[in-house]
Amino acid sequence: MCPGQEFGTQVMLKIDNLRAEVDGKEILRGLSLAVNAGEIHAIMGPNGAGKSTLGYVLGGRPGYAPTGGSVRFDGVDLLELEPHERAAAGLFLGFQYPVEIPGVSNVQFLREALNAQRRGRGEAALSGGEFLKLARAQADALGMDQEMLKRPVNVGFSGGEKKRNEMVQMGIIGPKLAILDETDSGLDIDALKAVGDGINRIMRAPDKAVILITHYQRLLDYVQPDFVHVLEAGRITRTGGPELALQLEREGYGVAA
Amino acid sequence: MVSTLELPTPRMEEWRWADMQALRSAAEAEPRVTGLDPADLFLDLDGPRLCFIDGAFEPAHSRPGAVQVTRQIVSSTHPLASLAEGEGWSLHIEPEHAVTAIQIVHLGSGGESHVPARIVLAEDAVASLVETYAGVGWANRLTSISLARGARLMRSVRLLQDEGFVSVRDEAEVGEAASLVSIFLGAGGMGSRIDGALTLTGKGAFAEMGGALLTRGSQRQECAVAVRHEETDGSSRQIWRAVAADKSVASLAARVEVARGAQKTDGEQSLRGLLLDRTATVNLKPELEIFADDVKCAHGATVGELDKNALFYLESRGIDKARATAMLTRSFVADALSRIGEDAVREAFEADADKWLGGTL
Ligand SMILES: Nc1ncnc2c1ncn2[C@@H]1O[C@H](COP(=O)(O)OP(=O)(O)O)[C@@H](O)[C@H]1O
Ligand SMILES: [Mg+2]
Repeated sequence: MCPGQEFGTQVMLKIDNLRAEVDGKEILRGLSLAVNAGEIHAIMGPNGAGKSTLGYVLGGRPGYAPTGGSVRFDGVDLLELEPHERAAAGLFLGFQYPVEIPGVSNVQFLREALNAQRRGRGEAALSGGEFLKLARAQADALGMDQEMLKRPVNVGFSGGEKKRNEMVQMGIIGPKLAILDETDSGLDIDALKAVGDGINRIMRAPDKAVILITHYQRLLDYVQPDFVHVLEAGRITRTGGPELALQLEREGYGVAA
Repeated sequence: MVSTLELPTPRMEEWRWADMQALRSAAEAEPRVTGLDPADLFLDLDGPRLCFIDGAFEPAHSRPGAVQVTRQIVSSTHPLASLAEGEGWSLHIEPEHAVTAIQIVHLGSGGESHVPARIVLAEDAVASLVETYAGVGWANRLTSISLARGARLMRSVRLLQDEGFVSVRDEAEVGEAASLVSIFLGAGGMGSRIDGALTLTGKGAFAEMGGALLTRGSQRQECAVAVRHEETDGSSRQIWRAVAADKSVASLAARVEVARGAQKTDGEQSLRGLLLDRTATVNLKPELEIFADDVKCAHGATVGELDKNALFYLESRGIDKARATAMLTRSFVADALSRIGEDAVREAFEADADKWLGGTL
């Protein structure tokens, strides 16, 4: 803990005046946001506002080019790291559209991912047996069929199964900061509850934090955010508590705060 | 011999992608010590073993069992295969008998070598076979295959020469309800031409020829396969994958012919290329020639690059770019290699592909 900071108020992620372009078009236009350990932040906003772009820029996706501002994650310059190094540093990106990868099984993918991260942090790799135990426990906790662990990554999974699989991955990897991009879209009520419970169980801890990008207030019934932000036209325009989400649900984004 | 060799030229349609210059250089290369021990080239399988070094049978590394070493006269008119005369091997299996896990290793040290092979399976006979090409030089082979009613042959061939050239030609007749599966992996540094003419001569026959060609540097590999359906109710499969890096060229030409009267034919053809670099080339030439009306022929031919979404997905989970590329490339060739029936053989071929990927990315 840094001197002068109380437990639970350490800044984990500090985004200052971030600008970023996609295809030569500026999408993030001076976005600032600070996330402390132990906090859950919801980011809401209209379609096309730049929410997914924010996730991709933080994840380091090629083509999503930062052009100004800074991002510090646990004191390091996040934008300097390769995508896999960001993962090893503790960043997890939950995808709005998880990708199908034929020919690579879920277990092979996740074991390789976890062990690569562990090596990156100077920790010992998990054996096949240790890994399977961990994977099975996480699949069980998310209500995902064990058989799906053996199937190729996301291939033939329904929308809800893909999102559950993202949560299983998050549980196995155990990140410090999770940025979850519309993990709630396309979920029925049971899956929504399972995903919500998963987020609380895996990420609700004093040394972890979550940025929950969502369109709807309904996920926030399961995962209580500490802060709700509105992202519009590439920057954060409003910040409040859980009541802001309810207000947005009633009144839409067009209404002044 | 090479100086008088009449090689096909690119002006001949079926040879337009062939790298005959590489073949000629391989044939003219001075012999050299490869440092390879034939014993290391056999898989740990319990079955007959034959080793040919520079085309000559090598008893010290062989235990031929049911396979015979014979001199053969070749009747093929194929421009390269017709040269494959002299000492070779043959396998004749009696009705309802089985010989499995046969291994043939071809090790070259330079120059040219020609070996003919003949496989004749009587009714309901079964055989499985693994062939490995290693070393350097030009290895030229003809394999004549004849399967009687209900016979089954599974053949897996890996081209792992460090350099030089491998040309293999298969000429097969597949009888009633017989099944031929030949899967190839080109994962060495040599040039290659995998050439096949499979004819389904019996009702309900099955023939498959496919595999994966991995090329890099300035290497060129190709396959040129024609499958001909002459009888009704036959099925055939040609599943080929080509992966090309650097300035290499991989070419896949595959043809299905359905003769008049060969109704209820089911032909599947899938040719797919993956470019690891923009400077690499994959040529695809799918061809269908159908003279019957009640026929099902699924076919697809595509060339592309790795899916960037998938790459970023793997990287975002902590896998570095080279490894993520290797995983996706491996999954790209997986369909082709998954056709190998025996686990141990398939795993060995997958390991060869992994080794290639490890050395390329
Ligand atoms: N890969 C891309 N190529 C071109 N434009 C993109 C790409 N991704 C996003 N955009 C554009 O960036 C803007 C923000 O998109 P996005 O971040 O997906 O918004 P949100 O997630 O808030 O709906 C949109 O105008 C969108 O059209
Ligand atoms: Mg979005």
